[in-house]
Order: sequence, then C-alpha cells, then structure tokens
Amino acid sequence: MASFVELVLTGITSGLVVGLAALALTLVFGIARFANAATGDMMTVGAYAAVVSMAASGSFTLGVVAGAGAGIVVALLAHLLVFRRLAARAPVTSLLASIGVAFVIRAAIGVAFGHQQKVFGLPVVRPWRIFDVRVQPIDLAVVIAAAATLLVVFLILYATPIGRRMRAVADDRSLARVSGISPDRVMVTMWALAGGVCAVAGVMLGAKTVVSPDMGWDMLLPAFAATILGGIGHPVGAVVAGILLGVVQEIATPFVGFTYKIALAFFVLLLVLLVRPAGLFGHSEGAR
Amino acid sequence: MSVLCVEDLRGGYSEVDILNGVDLALDAGEILTIAGTNGAGKSTLAKAVVGLLPRVCGRVVLDGVDITHMPTERRAQGGIGYVPQVANVFPSLAVFENLEVVEGVRDRKARIAELFALFPALAERKRMRAGSLSGGERQQLAYARALMTRPRVVVLDEPTAALAPALVKDSLARVASLATDGTAVLLIEQRARQALAISHRGAIMDGGRVAMSGAADTLLADERAADLYLGHI
Repeated sequence: MASFVELVLTGITSGLVVGLAALALTLVFGIARFANAATGDMMTVGAYAAVVSMAASGSFTLGVVAGAGAGIVVALLAHLLVFRRLAARAPVTSLLASIGVAFVIRAAIGVAFGHQQKVFGLPVVRPWRIFDVRVQPIDLAVVIAAAATLLVVFLILYATPIGRRMRAVADDRSLARVSGISPDRVMVTMWALAGGVCAVAGVMLGAKTVVSPDMGWDMLLPAFAATILGGIGHPVGAVVAGILLGVVQEIATPFVGFTYKIALAFFVLLLVLLVRPAGLFGHSEGAR
Repeated sequence: MSVLCVEDLRGGYSEVDILNGVDLALDAGEILTIAGTNGAGKSTLAKAVVGLLPRVCGRVVLDGVDITHMPTERRAQGGIGYVPQVANVFPSLAVFENLEVVEGVRDRKARIAELFALFPALAERKRMRAGSLSGGERQQLAYARALMTRPRVVVLDEPTAALAPALVKDSLARVASLATDGTAVLLIEQRARQALAISHRGAIMDGGRVAMSGAADTLLADERAADLYLGHI
C-alpha cells in the first residue's frame, strides 16, 4: 500500500510538470489559436536560467524566479519578433514558425552551454517518512512551486480585468475587438504568462532529473496529450489531465515496465477521447 | 450634423467588392433600418461601419471624425456599439463579466448597475455563464454589452434572426427604446416591415448599394418597394 501511495505521489509531481506545460500550450492555443511547438524549449530556457542563477547565488528560490523571468523574456521576444507578425495568416503558419523558434532556442542553448547534462546541485536529503510513505523533499518543493504558479495563473485569469479580457479574446476575438478590447495588449500578457509557466515547469523537471538542451522537446508530446485530454483551450482541464497522465504512467510502471509506461498513458488518452472526443473538460461545438 | 456618415463605401472580404458605393447618414436619436434581400450587403455594411471588414474604401465619419481606417477597438471605445447577428456574447464568461470586460467605460460599476436596472433578467443571472442563457436573455446581454460605453451609434445586425417568433415584437420594442436617449440606431433587419414600423427612416440595399431610401412610412407605403423588396404582408 505504501509503495502504491509513493507511486501516486511521484505521478502527481511528474504530472504537474506535464500539466504546467499543457497549461502553457492551452493558453497559447486558446488565445493565439495555434499549437506552440516551442513550449518545450521555453521550458529548457527556464531550467538553464535557473541552473546558472543557482550556481551564482546558491538559492533554489532565486533560481526559480530567474528561470521564470528568462522564460517570460524569451516568450515575449518570440511573440514580438515572430508570432505577432504572422497573426493575420493561417494558424498553421504560426505552428510551423514555432517549430523554427524551438530549433533556434535549442541551438542557442547548445552553443551557449554545450550538450553535456547539467544538474542543479541540490543537497542530497534523506526522504521523509510519513505513515510509512517515503516523501522526497524535492517532490514537495516541486508541488509547492507548481501550486504557487497555478495560483498566480488562475488568479490572473479569473480575478483580474486583464484575465477576463484574455478569456474574452479566447471566446471570440472579433467580439472582443468590438467591445473595445485590444488583442495586442492581451497577447503580450498571455505570452508573458505562458513563458513564465513553461519556465517554472522546466525548472521543476530539471530539479527532478537533469538539465539538457533536449529536455523540453522530449516533454512536448506528453504536454500535447494532456492539452487534448483536458479539452483544448481549457486551463483547468490541462492541469488535471497532466496529473492524470502522470499518475497513470507511474501506477502502470510495475506492471508494464518503464519502457511502456508512456505508451500506456497514450492508450488511456485514446480510450478517453473515444468516449469524450472534446476531452475531459471540453465542450463539443457544432460547425457554423 | 449627422452622427454617422457613410460616403461612397466600397469593399469586401477578398478581392471582390460586396459594397459598391454606399451612402447614408444617421442623426442622433434616429433609427435607420437597412433592408434588402440576402446577399445585398447589409451585414457587410455593418462590419464596415464597426471596422471588421478587411478591405474598405470610401469614408465612415463618426461625429465629424474620419474613422474609416481606425482600429475596431478604438471605434468601440469612441462611440460605436455593435451587436452581431450570432455569437454576440462571451459564452464562457459570467453575465457580469461580459459587461466588465468592455473597455472605454467611465464609472464602470455605476454603468453596470444602470444596465442591470434596464435589463432586470440579467441582474438575476449575473453570475451565470452567458453560454447557458436563453436566446432572449443572450440578446439582452448583447444589447447591454453594446451599451456599456454609452455609444453614440449602435449597429444591430439582424437582432430578431435567432429569436423565437414570440420574442420578435419584444425585441423590436427594445430596439425602439434604445433611441429614446439620443442614441442613433443602425438596424440591419430581414423582417423589413416590422423593423420599418419602429424606424424613422429606411434604406433598401440591392447589389451592394442603396437602391431606395426615405422616411419609413413612405417606404412602407411604396408599391414598388413592396413588390421588389418588402412584400405586401
């Protein structure tokens, strides 16, 4: 029983990483209307910025803040230099451009830091034992960072004027414009938010594993899966689906082994979509 | 001086012009019905006025200011309210959020209170998602959203199109009440006779231009207008 609970806890922490990446994907998809393939590489930016900052300051908290800041800057640059200029074109143009942005970010990281793996150098700490269940302190740090990030994002989305305007643009861009809402201002906020969320997810992933130029790219497929499973454009759905996929993967590991656990998660995705094609939280819409 | 002037307006969604030189003027407190057959360019004219038509030439003038190439959101803040034919509310936002998101509003809280007094059904449902409202309630919310900025001109694109027949009379009565405080109303409407009955003037579009125009009573009595565009019932 204790080992089952440990698997669930590990699943929740790894699922939160996927869930945050899916949240960033769904924010961009909901408002800018394209699937941002650079999401994973924006995660990598956050992880490297945090590693550098932590090496200089010795503080993991400062590392998270620096990582988030770097993610915000890179996302805003990508918006201002690339995506804003393509906004009037078909969404597939922005999707293809985002693949290019992803390659540029990865190449720049490779040139700047090399291709060797890096680690955060966090002190090795004994796991805590709570009712016979082992809890890794780093997992708790990951959960706290993820919870704080989610709290900030959902507060902005649901309790601030700019958040309401973001949701209005996501609902209907033309109606938002005839309501006096400037899509440009909404876009800048959305990209800052998405970049920050990506970067925090990258820091969490790097802290639990290792930091490498490909780390974010490898997370892209699970993040897409969580976005679809949660219901495209649904922020809460993205996070819940990420956690669900993480837990399913970890629980399945003793039965199917490490190699096939990802395949099993995608099998669950297929099953859910057969029953609910719009995802767990999505609404089916008729074509007009 | 007219609140809204449209001069030799041409344009469309791609290379082909749908508007072929539209001229009209609208005074404060006046209701002008735009009627015409399907494809005459009525909704395209509405989009050109509010700034949603990709390609336009000619002039749209609001209170003496040329707004032909002004961004849509600035027109909205500057005094043009718009209620589209479909998709006229933000479905995932609560009723009160649909009003709160509107920009260019002075004293937002007081204005929302005024509009809730005007549309009491909305006040009762202010925390409900707009997507869960009935057709009539949605339309009230769409009107309230368009009125948030106390606009000089309201453009209504076929407000009765998606309504049950029993609600049409109420809807047009509400349109008539919009003009009583000096707001000019540009009413695009397929139910031309009913719309003209509450209007001061009318214009009938055909082939992207105004084919006939005049006082609403005159148009309603015109045999040629009845034969070609309005019908006799």
